[in-house]
Amino acid sequence: MSHAHVKPLEPGIILSIEELSIAFGGIKAVDNLSFQIKEKEIFGLIGPNGAGKTTAFNCITQFYAPNHGSIRFLSKKDETVELTQHKVHEIIGLGLVRTFQNVELIRELSILDNVLIGAHIDYKTGLFNAMLKTKKNRKEEEALKNQAMDVLKFVGIADKALWPVGGQPYGILKKVELARTLMCSPRLIILDEPAAGLNDIETLGLADTIRTIRDEYNCAILLVEHDMRLVMDVCDTICAINFGKFLAKGSPKQIKENKDVQVAYLGTKEDLV
Amino acid sequence: MTMKTLLAKIKAYPYLPYISLGLVLSLIPTLVYFDVLRSSYVTLIGAVMIYTIVALGLNLLLGWSGLISLGTAGFMGLAAYASAYFTVNLKLPFELSVILSIAIPVAISVLVGLISLRIEGLYLAIATLAVSEIFRKTFAEFDFITNGFSGKSAKYPTLLGFFKLDNTMTYLLLVIVMVLIMILIHNLINSHVGRALNAMRGSEAAAQAMGIDLLKYRLVAFALAIALTSVAGILYVHFIKYVEPSKWNLGLSLNILAVIIIGGVRNIMGTFVGAFVVFAVPDLVLKQIPYFGKIANFAYIVNGLTIILVILFYPSGLIRVFTDARIAFNKFIAKTRGKTA
Repeated sequence: MSHAHVKPLEPGIILSIEELSIAFGGIKAVDNLSFQIKEKEIFGLIGPNGAGKTTAFNCITQFYAPNHGSIRFLSKKDETVELTQHKVHEIIGLGLVRTFQNVELIRELSILDNVLIGAHIDYKTGLFNAMLKTKKNRKEEEALKNQAMDVLKFVGIADKALWPVGGQPYGILKKVELARTLMCSPRLIILDEPAAGLNDIETLGLADTIRTIRDEYNCAILLVEHDMRLVMDVCDTICAINFGKFLAKGSPKQIKENKDVQVAYLGTKEDLV
Repeated sequence: MTMKTLLAKIKAYPYLPYISLGLVLSLIPTLVYFDVLRSSYVTLIGAVMIYTIVALGLNLLLGWSGLISLGTAGFMGLAAYASAYFTVNLKLPFELSVILSIAIPVAISVLVGLISLRIEGLYLAIATLAVSEIFRKTFAEFDFITNGFSGKSAKYPTLLGFFKLDNTMTYLLLVIVMVLIMILIHNLINSHVGRALNAMRGSEAAAQAMGIDLLKYRLVAFALAIALTSVAGILYVHFIKYVEPSKWNLGLSLNILAVIIIGGVRNIMGTFVGAFVVFAVPDLVLKQIPYFGKIANFAYIVNGLTIILVILFYPSGLIRVFTDARIAFNKFIAKTRGKTA
């Protein structure tokens, strides 16, 4: 598929969203939203419930086709690509991978197999090689299995690799989903509420894991999160939105002190009356 | 190498269950020869193997990929008629006829899939049901090819143009083909393609995010299922040596569905168990029961009851009975050993 020429991103920028809008019926879920993410940055997207955070994620990853706007991304091949010109299953190949708010794993498969699904695009052999279990296919499987075990070691659940996913506690499931994103050597990982359902200790561990992923895998991370302690602790830059509209952007400290953000989250004094 | 390590090695061999099953099944003609079993058993078990192959295709589609087809019978009939026409009327060699009789249904399945699988998997059920009914009407009406309601005859296969198979040899061919297909499917579902099919069933969102093209893999699953259905249809016409239009109805499609529910969804050996229960038990057991055996369609009633009981007590299929029995046996052994120690 050939694509129209895309304006290259400025150096150091990995994702640039400009004037992104999507409406469902009359409701504008995301309204003229723009922001940029730098390479190796941990970027938080926050906002009250229903602010349009997950919708923005779904637009970036092409689960939804936005009505308007451009989403430029620096692909694995160091080319600027316009994500809206790609199909949803092509996104991961460009170096952009995501997790889901309500963990999306395959219950019947083992933890290792679930992580290997994250390497799907790395398999070069096809159907017939798989059926006949040719040497080429076995080699490939072996190599990717080793890589998957390394990733599982990294998130700390290598000992559970062969356990089925169904019936595992939520904390483990979240780790499996995270491990799955690491298989494709991503440039940008999108985490949709990574701390939801975790206890305090697990959340503390998560902050470390997110930072280690950034350092070890050399990628940027975009996360949506309601746990403000985690967001303030781990993010370099935060963008706050409300009713699909841009509200404020800055360092955790700037966001904390921002009047608009305070109003959006807590309401004004008049609201109390 | 000691005996023990050799045994352990054989036990760990992944294809052991399929090859053992094949070996056991290939003994049946010998048992018939020595009058231990009646000769009708060869036909009966041969048919069970043919239905196992179809049901393996459906299991790949429904069990692993989560797509529903209600047109199994129609496609199987199409392949059967095609192979009969190619070998009897056109006098084509058996091997060429096999290739054509698989290629035609698969090509049609890809067309049906391209139209119906774009939006959602569920539309496949409706489309295949419709196509299957069209096939059935065609079998009855196009009598210059299908011989209409009087049915069409075929011969046992002739391999490489000179090696004429008889009933027993064709039966053995069935055993070999079934075991090979079981091994191929075993490899497939344990590969990345199998994981992609599983992902498609388990979570379409996750599958797409991980780079799995849903339309492509839905088509792959459907085309593979129809390829296996065609193989079964071809084997049927050259083993039973006769086809008629009324056989390929919705009832047969639903029976194949019953096979995988009773035997075991996503279980290769379970598929054989299911095919045995649905297609052999009526003749072997039910018809021998006094009074009840004479009720028309008694097998359907028993099948229905079996499905309900299996779903209630063995949702992963009757194959679990064997696993449970082994666990119970091991427990029993451990208990008695514990007592003596």
